[in-house]
Amino acid sequence: MDFAWSEEQLSYKESAIHFAQQELREGIIEDDLYEKFPKERWQKCAEFGVLGLPFPEKYGGAEADLLTTMLVMEGLGYGGKDNGLLFSINAQMWAVQHPIQEFGTIEQQEKYLPDLITGKIIGAHGISEPVSGSDAYSMHTSAKKCDGGYLLNGSKTFVTNAPIADLSLVFAMTAPEKGSWGISAFLIETGTAGFSLSKKIDKMGLRTAPMGEIILQDCFVPEENRLGAENIGAHIFNNSMEWERACILGAHIGAMERQLETSVSYARTRKQFKQPIGKFQSISNRLAEMKIRLETARLLLYKTAWLKNEGKPAKMEAAMAKLYLSEVFTASSLDAIRIHGGYGYTSEFEVERDMRDAIGGVLYSGTSDIQRNIIARYLGV
Amino acid sequence: MKILVAIKQVIDHHVAIQVKLDNTGVETNNVKMSINPFDEIALEAAIRLQESGIASEVIVVSIGEKPIQTTLRSALAMGADRALLIQTDVETQPLAVAKLLQAVVAQENPQLVLLGKQAIDDDSHQTGQMLAALLNWGQGTNASQIILKDDEVQVTREIDTGLEIISLSLPAVITTDLRLNNPRYIKLPNIMKAKKKPLTILAAEELDVDITPRLQTCKVELPLRRKTGIKVENINELITKLQTEAKVI
Repeated sequence: MDFAWSEEQLSYKESAIHFAQQELREGIIEDDLYEKFPKERWQKCAEFGVLGLPFPEKYGGAEADLLTTMLVMEGLGYGGKDNGLLFSINAQMWAVQHPIQEFGTIEQQEKYLPDLITGKIIGAHGISEPVSGSDAYSMHTSAKKCDGGYLLNGSKTFVTNAPIADLSLVFAMTAPEKGSWGISAFLIETGTAGFSLSKKIDKMGLRTAPMGEIILQDCFVPEENRLGAENIGAHIFNNSMEWERACILGAHIGAMERQLETSVSYARTRKQFKQPIGKFQSISNRLAEMKIRLETARLLLYKTAWLKNEGKPAKMEAAMAKLYLSEVFTASSLDAIRIHGGYGYTSEFEVERDMRDAIGGVLYSGTSDIQRNIIARYLGV
Repeated sequence: MKILVAIKQVIDHHVAIQVKLDNTGVETNNVKMSINPFDEIALEAAIRLQESGIASEVIVVSIGEKPIQTTLRSALAMGADRALLIQTDVETQPLAVAKLLQAVVAQENPQLVLLGKQAIDDDSHQTGQMLAALLNWGQGTNASQIILKDDEVQVTREIDTGLEIISLSLPAVITTDLRLNNPRYIKLPNIMKAKKKPLTILAAEELDVDITPRLQTCKVELPLRRKTGIKVENINELITKLQTEAKVI
């Protein structure tokens, strides 16, 4: 058994930490307050090479493997402080770029991937609808075949990046009678007739990641903009979710490590009753718990990513990692606030924001309850 | 114009240094290592000269054991064209390093050698000066600005009394100070590209240079911990305390 990372993988992580410490730490309190999308930081990440990391060199990528990519996300989560931005970036990478790379035609890849990777255009991914969330395949959005393409009608909600998107990957029913086997994926550019982006959705955390709705009214999408074969939408969706989970969670592991370091340092320097508060067991026990949660979550995630990298099935492992990591990130975020006391509750200390950001994790990419269902299914229940 | 940049791998500046239990040195096992920050500034300066079209090639060189390759790879990812590792397990002291670099200069014929003004581990602050003397080249140490004009280089030096501007004819040795530039972070695709750049390993013996250590380390100890200071109310109290308690005046 070998738990060591290669020198090269570590140099990627180092580089990501170095970059994030310089570029992803400032201005987040204000962007979070006003729910402002940090376009500049996004662009810096693109120039640094985050968006292209696992993608082919010919499209501007670096062809890194999943483990390295996840490790870079960890480095960004640790070195920087903008959980929302990383969430947005991962949404584009795994739910837009990755499907195009895996299922797109050469023309689609050449048209969109280089611009997505350099940050010239931003991508969104719409699957959830007002009435279909966890039960995603009960969607109502339809795509009716017509001359030269499809006519799409319906709406998508909770679409990350929608308010700023230039390109959206939208799922719609092409054969409603076939249920989950009747879904297809489409690439729609903003500005297409019948395609509109409606109100921005305000939310509790991840506020630097804009979220919105997509409305489709007799929106004509030409045949060449269908992604992959007809009716393989569910397969496309599941394929990207697995990468997304590993990498989004990688960023969370980094954030948890940063949070722990911040809390330890506060516990050592903050004095009450004439001694550093870390000398009180009520504080030090919490820190110990935070450390155990971090390391157990890390092991679950690394194992999942390793299995995937080896081409082995990891669906149950992925569900366990997603469930556990998001739950412990929430628990540790609350502990970090408790350790910081009243200061932890203020925006200025940037401790409470992690708490709000963490809660999103127990909901997106499949809620904790859905993950439990998956685990139970693999247990044969 | 070719530029040779000498870099040293040192314990990362974020690491809290631990002295070995037998007091023979500091602990380097399982300790994060990185490029000496002053050398990183020298490398950045060289890469910028290349980007502005003044330099044609940037070669990085380092001396030590094989793991130093990692640091050389980082230097390649930052933008150097090729790397040279002079392999030895002998503890190389400033004079030995200067002699080895002199031999490399003879092989590579650079017009300019850039190195950090000092390494943050032993803080010797000698190698650049010794190298210039051995080569009989001009030297500009502690550079906070480097301007190249034809076959001349203007170096702004940070000295105790302010800034000194000197002009050197090429070839020359320049050592870099903190304020010269702010080194770039390595872009992710460049780590991949650096794998394809040439890294040559050369045994130190092949350079036929006497690198025997001249200095012997007797003992390494942590500095004594400073006592917590106190605040005094006024100058008179300060003078009294310096006379009666500290007994320094």
